[in-house]
Amino acid sequence: MKAIREKGIWLAPLILAIVLWELVAVQVVKDPVLLPPFSRVIFSFYLLREVIILDILASLVHFSMGLALAFSVAFPLAICIGWFQNVFKVLDPIIEILRPIPPLAWIPFAIIWIGLNPFAAGFIIFIGAFFPILITSYTGFKDVPKILIDAGKVLGCTGDKKLIRYVALPYALPSVAVGTRVGMGVGWMCVVAAEIFGVGMYGLGFRIFNEFIYWKEMDFIVAYMLILGLVALVLDRFLRHFVENKLFKWKKGIVRQ
Amino acid sequence: MKHKLKLKLRNVTKMFKTEVGETCALEGVNLEVKPNEFLCIIGPSGCGKTTLLRLVAGLDHPNSGEIILDGKEVEGPSPDRGMVFQEFSLFPWRKVIKNVTIGLEIRGVEKKERYRIAQKYIELVGLNGFENSYPYELSGGMKQRVAIARTLATEPAILLMDEPFGSVDAQTRNVLQEELLEIWTRTKKTILFVTHSVDEAIFLADKVAVMSVRPGRITECKNIDIPRPRKRTSIEVNKVREELLMLLKSRA
Repeated sequence: MKAIREKGIWLAPLILAIVLWELVAVQVVKDPVLLPPFSRVIFSFYLLREVIILDILASLVHFSMGLALAFSVAFPLAICIGWFQNVFKVLDPIIEILRPIPPLAWIPFAIIWIGLNPFAAGFIIFIGAFFPILITSYTGFKDVPKILIDAGKVLGCTGDKKLIRYVALPYALPSVAVGTRVGMGVGWMCVVAAEIFGVGMYGLGFRIFNEFIYWKEMDFIVAYMLILGLVALVLDRFLRHFVENKLFKWKKGIVRQ
Repeated sequence: MKHKLKLKLRNVTKMFKTEVGETCALEGVNLEVKPNEFLCIIGPSGCGKTTLLRLVAGLDHPNSGEIILDGKEVEGPSPDRGMVFQEFSLFPWRKVIKNVTIGLEIRGVEKKERYRIAQKYIELVGLNGFENSYPYELSGGMKQRVAIARTLATEPAILLMDEPFGSVDAQTRNVLQEELLEIWTRTKKTILFVTHSVDEAIFLADKVAVMSVRPGRITECKNIDIPRPRKRTSIEVNKVREELLMLLKSRA
């Protein structure tokens, strides 16, 4: 009984928030455009049930393109920057100049370079996910304790290749995972914006900005907002479960114990 | 020549660059270690004991002089000079067994064979049953036992130990010292052991080299002929301790 009460501790505030939302929308605001009530949003899920799946899939396609590209560029680059002091010195200024540019500022170039197609959306998501993955990962490679490097050397790691393979890479993997998680979050936030400029006929962001907004279908928009949040939550939970329980059991003693 | 030397240091000098200029960590160090000998280097902190060991390991390079192991000059790190560090140096992402096999893995030994060898050394250090534990699950003493097993697994020609029991409690340290002597007897390794503890040196060593500080030099080599097992509080031990303490005091 106690276990249920402790596990379900999040449930009460959630229900309360929903009830409050419904009450305020129906009794106080009384305008479904300004604030669509919860019940109408739930009903929109039913109305939109066919298109919603296609839009989620389209957005996931854009997202995975961007994320996959970001990871496959950022990861090897992070090894070089983190491990070789000189590469860091050469590239750090360039990275620090490019990094603060908001991903959305790249949209004009995405259109000019790539055109109005799903790859342009992938490009924006790539920009968003790239820097968090890069920065957090290379920090992991930079921070390998000297003692572990020395131990690797006396055990036969001659040269950078073996030291990276046996010492630096396994040490840095948790940082790579954290970076990827942050990168996924930022990348997902770019999905909506990346789809606004019409890269295809499907996508969560596309639907919100190219259809619902014209008819002021605010209940549909809220439904899509909730979907945007839920998909991100599921993705994040999935990665966290995989990373923390499967890959990094050894980290327990260091960070969680 | 009856005894061929295992390790010979001739006129080894090591300088370090600091903010104020160069300091001399080691100056003209000469040392000879016979095969199967247990040699302890003692000296106050900052005297360059660790530097000396790192030079033999090949982790640092001397500015002048030579270090010759089995007739060959030391050029860089290699598993034929196994080193046990003072700090815990296990790879935290590897289970005990995989920490012990890593040297063999790097060398390209086949999996079955390296597990067989690792198992042998895990038994030697008395850690049967902990093969699948992660380092964070082990006590300090156990971690150092794994580090010893890991170093022995690659069959080094010489074992370099840098205050390996410095970070464990006194009781555990005594136990580990006894175990190390047992391992030494069974594996017939040559051991170069650095410590700041006179007691530890007298309990373990065949020969003790005393170092002075700034510049780091070996000022005295003393054979310890007390038969093993040695009693930590016996009259002979106390006599040697007195002598060594006097030596250290006069050089400090």
